[in-house]
Amino acid sequence: MMKRISAWISKRLNLPPVLHHLLDEKIPGGASWIYIFGSVTLFLFLLQALTGMFLAIYYAPTPDHAYESVRFIQEEIPFGSFIRGLHHWGASAMMVMIGLHILQVFLYGAFKAPREMMWMVGGFLLILTLSFGFTGYLLPWDQKAYWATQVGINLVGTVPWIGGALTRILRGGGDLGALTLSRFFAVHTLFLPWLVVMMIALHLFILRRVGAAGPWDKKKAEAVSEPFYPRQVFMDAVAMGVMFIVLVVLAANVPAHLADRADPTDTTFRPVPEWYYLFYYQFLKYFEGRFEIVATFVIPLLFFGIFFAIPFLGRRWERIPVKRPMAMILGGLFLVFVFTMLGLAVKETASIVVADPAIARGKAIYAKLACAGCHRIQGEGAQVGPDLSYEGDKRDKTWLEAHFKDPQSLSPGSFMPSVRLSEAELESLTRYMLSLKKEAR
Amino acid sequence: MPEEVTRRSFFGKAIAAIAGSIALILSVPILGYTILPALRKREEPWSEVGPVTQLEMNQPKELEVVRSVSSGWMKAASVRSIWAFRKPEGEVVVYSPICTHLGCGYHWDDQKKKFLCPCHNSSFDLNGQVLGGPAPRPLDALPAKVEGDRLYVVYKEFKSGISRKEEI
Repeated sequence: MMKRISAWISKRLNLPPVLHHLLDEKIPGGASWIYIFGSVTLFLFLLQALTGMFLAIYYAPTPDHAYESVRFIQEEIPFGSFIRGLHHWGASAMMVMIGLHILQVFLYGAFKAPREMMWMVGGFLLILTLSFGFTGYLLPWDQKAYWATQVGINLVGTVPWIGGALTRILRGGGDLGALTLSRFFAVHTLFLPWLVVMMIALHLFILRRVGAAGPWDKKKAEAVSEPFYPRQVFMDAVAMGVMFIVLVVLAANVPAHLADRADPTDTTFRPVPEWYYLFYYQFLKYFEGRFEIVATFVIPLLFFGIFFAIPFLGRRWERIPVKRPMAMILGGLFLVFVFTMLGLAVKETASIVVADPAIARGKAIYAKLACAGCHRIQGEGAQVGPDLSYEGDKRDKTWLEAHFKDPQSLSPGSFMPSVRLSEAELESLTRYMLSLKKEAR
Repeated sequence: MPEEVTRRSFFGKAIAAIAGSIALILSVPILGYTILPALRKREEPWSEVGPVTQLEMNQPKELEVVRSVSSGWMKAASVRSIWAFRKPEGEVVVYSPICTHLGCGYHWDDQKKKFLCPCHNSSFDLNGQVLGGPAPRPLDALPAKVEGDRLYVVYKEFKSGISRKEEI
């Protein structure tokens, strides 16, 4: 049945030549696992588009509702945490794959003539992807989103002459608020996707016009010529499948973070950007005062200037890495620099004590239920019930949760009332109790 | 007759299997994410109306119910009216304020001792039974209870114009 339908369609639309054009592209040197990075990046982009569209079903891009709607997705919608997790981890995976893709193209000298334009379009794709990361970061409207975006926009403000105007344009006015959120949302979900799709189409169009680069060894490249289908498609599919499984496992087990609701009056919050901006965040620390502009403007400009110029910098048409010592050394130094900065930043940020937002919520519930009317914590509250100052050392999660639901079942004769809370609230209150430990003081 | 498995057809099938599995694995959470919340029935809470002492014997009174309505992640207060009175046995009767004919609001006529609907002249007695007019069924009673001296009701709406009492 299926066969007859596909045969019918194929005949009407005269598909064989189209399929031949799509699938039988010659790969010099044959299929290889080293060529999977571009395909996996494309797969990840499609996955981001899909999960993003579904996130938009429940998301509200206004400061009044953004945080609550994300929390709603995260906690109340079936599979909500999973879909958001896929989108969150998919973004990180995309950065990794793009990094590996660029590295491979650089190592193989695949950007050299006639593929210079592909490299440059790729550069635009890199900028667009980073813009996706920057604009998407604000959308949950939590503390981290708000303050990291505040910093990001202020960096743009250091651009000479037009910095002030640029920050106003980014924010949609004088301060970060409703207009900022709605324009970041529009850029993230409407403007950037179309630009990226057009750029990907151009990237692939150029690939098909100039052909795949193949191995750097000319003899190897000429020895075998294998069509794109089936072996390369198979390798790409396996890589996509493995990437998908990794993301599913991550999304199911490590939920995307959601800090407290954005609070513009709270200046104690210390924003740390997403890991793919972390090396740059660290680098910024070494430039102070007058020199800040070097790191915020001059060096990024220089970096992208060099990036786009790379295909035109080498004088010789030489793809073998050992015969391109300058490129390899400079590329290697750049990697060492990035990873050193990243390492330093991770080391520093790891020492910041991250407050668990659930603990703060638990504390608020403790106050709301007027628990201090009976219990004492660190000298505050009445001494009717047990002192809870070091409750975390005495009890575990199961005991606490059972106790909140039915105190008399665990402490017969107790006149503690049962606490009527939702599961999420109960979890927060328990987390707060568990945080009350001697060593934490 | 089974087809011969060639190298080419193996790759084709493997690619289809991987793509198919990804689509299948994704479709379960995505469908659940999109469809399940839409099918979820709203749970209407008991709303406090006020002291039960304000109700008189066999004398329906229009009362206001302020209920907390949730729409997605948002919660808002919504005011609705109800008709309520006490029976001699002490039982409290609460009616939905909507005429069962076409959804107009009716009122209690104290002279005629009837509930009258002005739109199409339906009339009901104290027990909600239809006395006249096009109303297809008795007035819709709402769940009510008294705790202490407070009256609680569950506000519900029902489809108009049909003889069965069917919740919206």
